[in-house]
Amino acid sequence: MGRNVAIISVGYNGRFISKRPDINIPELIQPAVNNALGKTKLKPEHIDAYVVGNMHTFEGVNQPHLWASDHFNGSGKPVMRIATGGTTGASVYQAAYYHVASGMYDVVMAIGWEKQDEGDSQVGLMGILLPEAFSLFHFGPDTSSDRGIAGLGGGGSTGGAAFQAMSYLTRANAGIEHIDRVAALMRSNAAKNPYAHLQQPGCTEADIAGTPIISYPLRFGHTCPTSCGAIAMILVSEEKAKKFGLTDRVAWVKGLGSGTSDATTGNLIEGQITDPAEQQICKITAKKVYSMAGIKDPRKDIQVAEVYSGFSHQDLMWPERLGLFEEGMAPKILDKGGYAIDGELPINPSGGVTSTNAIGASAMVRVGEAALQVMGLAEGGHQVKRKIENAVAHGWGGLFQFVTITVLGKTPVKK
Amino acid sequence: MTQETRIIESTWDLTAYQFKIEADALSLFVKGLKDRKILGRKCGTCGTVYVPGPTYCRKCLIDIDQVVEVSQEGRLDAFTVSLADVRGKAVDNPFISCTVKLDGSDSFLMGVLEGWTDWRSVKEGMRVKVVWKDVTQGALADLSHFQLI
Amino acid sequence: MNERVAVVGYKQTKHTIDSPVARERMVYELVKSLYHDMGITKDDIDTFVLASNDFTDGRTISEVFTVPRIGAYMKDETKVEADGLNAALYAYMRILTGLYNTALVIGFSMAGSEFRVPLTQSYTMDPAYERPRGIINFYSTAALQAGAYMKKYKFTDEDLAQLTLKNIRNANNNPFAARKDPGASVEKILGSRPLYLPLREAHVSTYADGACAVVLSSKKTAKKFTDKPVWIDGVGHFMDTYYVGDRDLLAMEHLTAAAKKAYKMAGIKNPKKEIDLAEIHTNFASEEPVLTEALGLFKPGSGKDVVKSGASAITGTLPVNPSGGPLGANPVNATGLIRLAEASAQLRKEAGQNQIKGAKTAVVHAQDGPGAQLNTVFIVRR
Repeated sequence: MGRNVAIISVGYNGRFISKRPDINIPELIQPAVNNALGKTKLKPEHIDAYVVGNMHTFEGVNQPHLWASDHFNGSGKPVMRIATGGTTGASVYQAAYYHVASGMYDVVMAIGWEKQDEGDSQVGLMGILLPEAFSLFHFGPDTSSDRGIAGLGGGGSTGGAAFQAMSYLTRANAGIEHIDRVAALMRSNAAKNPYAHLQQPGCTEADIAGTPIISYPLRFGHTCPTSCGAIAMILVSEEKAKKFGLTDRVAWVKGLGSGTSDATTGNLIEGQITDPAEQQICKITAKKVYSMAGIKDPRKDIQVAEVYSGFSHQDLMWPERLGLFEEGMAPKILDKGGYAIDGELPINPSGGVTSTNAIGASAMVRVGEAALQVMGLAEGGHQVKRKIENAVAHGWGGLFQFVTITVLGKTPVKK
Repeated sequence: MTQETRIIESTWDLTAYQFKIEADALSLFVKGLKDRKILGRKCGTCGTVYVPGPTYCRKCLIDIDQVVEVSQEGRLDAFTVSLADVRGKAVDNPFISCTVKLDGSDSFLMGVLEGWTDWRSVKEGMRVKVVWKDVTQGALADLSHFQLI
Repeated sequence: MNERVAVVGYKQTKHTIDSPVARERMVYELVKSLYHDMGITKDDIDTFVLASNDFTDGRTISEVFTVPRIGAYMKDETKVEADGLNAALYAYMRILTGLYNTALVIGFSMAGSEFRVPLTQSYTMDPAYERPRGIINFYSTAALQAGAYMKKYKFTDEDLAQLTLKNIRNANNNPFAARKDPGASVEKILGSRPLYLPLREAHVSTYADGACAVVLSSKKTAKKFTDKPVWIDGVGHFMDTYYVGDRDLLAMEHLTAAAKKAYKMAGIKNPKKEIDLAEIHTNFASEEPVLTEALGLFKPGSGKDVVKSGASAITGTLPVNPSGGPLGANPVNATGLIRLAEASAQLRKEAGQNQIKGAKTAVVHAQDGPGAQLNTVFIVRR
């Protein structure tokens, strides 16, 4: 099943924030690359190949890795660009994994970034559906009021997320207060992560509940910020990890996978209707990934999770779909403190995506944070104290239909 | 060393594209709406009914051309209550957008839900029916909304 | 681990400058008929790798509505945002690990009718300096390169026209090519509209609506699909620096590096002798001598001799683009993958009127970025 691969370094450009008018895209990437290299003894010449990606329509530069190649030391090296929407960062990292696991390259750097102050994220996001929306206008929709438009597109700016949140709450028999509670936890976790964007130490449920509702049950406090940031990771083969004398503080890639469903409304598996909160593809992919990683019972064998939640209800939904909790149990476990950094199964000690979202980086940040937890190197007080044998990192993208999952661990899978 | 930074204006012009769109599904759908029917397509192999109905089955990856009419009643699935506009300003008349699975269809239709007084009493799984505009003309707007039964 | 990977199936659309169907339908029809030809179903495919670009598609996350069309529903899928040959490279790596045995690779775009290629190319340029100035772009970079080559090696406008004509004639006999010009002549090419001299309209590749799909398989499962596997024995890809002024547009050292890596993997010591044909990604006819020389197929500066001797013609000693190459059809994102399909057709003796006799080893090339900044090379064998 391929060569064993280890993540040996995770670097950030600095704290992710909403505006960086002082720099351009290549200048955003470069510090992350230097940071990742600086945590090792490696020099740029030790990197055999690069895999990079972002969502380039957001910034309006087509294939910006061409422009940035000198800034990440990619000129004169193999470079591959991957982009899969919200899952981009994780897809980039997975491609880097395959570069090493296949035996093609020994030392590979994966880089994900987004500079969301450049360009218009809303235009970028609208670009997903725009041609399809244009097509609807050929068929005479009711455009006389907001209601007509909402009937077509589904609930204004939060789109399908609000449907999903409602559906999740119904299924889990939970209330909006649970979403408030998990949102508050994420913001206070973020305050312990020096790279996080929205840091609110001691953020309470009441703070979140005070923000206006956009589309019930989602409030402003449940949505993610738009951040500027870059992440770089170095992946190496087992042989190289030994050669570099790096086998203690590394995170081994034990299992990984990416899955796709369909974006058109209504989802259907084997004759059974599924709703937006069902996320069958996440369950299917998780099963495959755990089997590859030798994880028999994810609830016992995994000690920390970094899930990709663009909206706070997803911090409840994803751990269930990943098999970490029984379905419908997440709100109860949250209430009992199980989610906290010192809890039974810490979810997003980093503060997650609702605290920090540089889209093309976000799914890789989940992997990077999981790696740092396994390595014991998470900074600023968000390191989980309990012994971590395995961590899971998750990403979603597209119109709720892409998923990426990775299991990292302290010891490699025996071949 | 000081660094000088300037902001430049630039746009990604989507109007520069001429998109070709597959129109089969919506063409059939609006044709049905004119006659106050909800039409879709059914896969002859797996039996899945798609509404609006594309000309292929995504499960079987085959062409499908069997046109079927589905019921005008169905089950309320997910929904969301619009209480504020994009800037967070409360709207005067909250409204509910919803997805509905009509009986005999395997797809969801999106629309606006009416027939409620307190949105807190609306629950997933409630029965709903299609309400038509007074005059139907073969447009998406013909389907006015869904009404709680 | 899988030790060897082969192309076991391939298919391209009949490329056109104005497709009658939308891209979703185009992709769906192509993949479905490939599966049909191979006698397989989508369930025989372990992993799917797409190549498209949000700018060329005019859509953010351009694969959102195309993945279900290729049979990837509820399957493992990812997307490379570069030419399709890079998607094949990624699929190749995925199979090597042994985690997957089969992969569908697909590249597509509507470069003929939905958008203007120079516009999406302009979005590639540094937005602060080169984009607003508009001087350096894909066309002018190619023209600078062509001018430098022609001056240094006494390669004349007539030589370039002759080279262009070779490709147009090959395209005339290629049923998939979009460009058909039976009356093409050196005079007509020399008289075509000047763009960035020495480049003229006739030298530019034909931007087209089209798609290409390839099925890769490990050695273990290849037999199940075909008795004519085309083995991928060498791969290489390298990036050059971005600023055109910093590059040596004639030496193309990074392409040479990519080729050397691929040749080494394939155990090829003398490409001039051991390679039977080349399918290369040229956006402009003038790139052909530069790229083939950097690939080590011809002596540096020998472009004039190659044209005069007909060495790169179908009947020559080392045919280049017997398919007509991108001059016949350039559906951006699919173009390099089409080179792999065309080379596979040659090695499997399925290339129809353009068939080269006894071809056993081919070099396949793809590029991205202005002036071929990123190059990818495959060595394939029958």
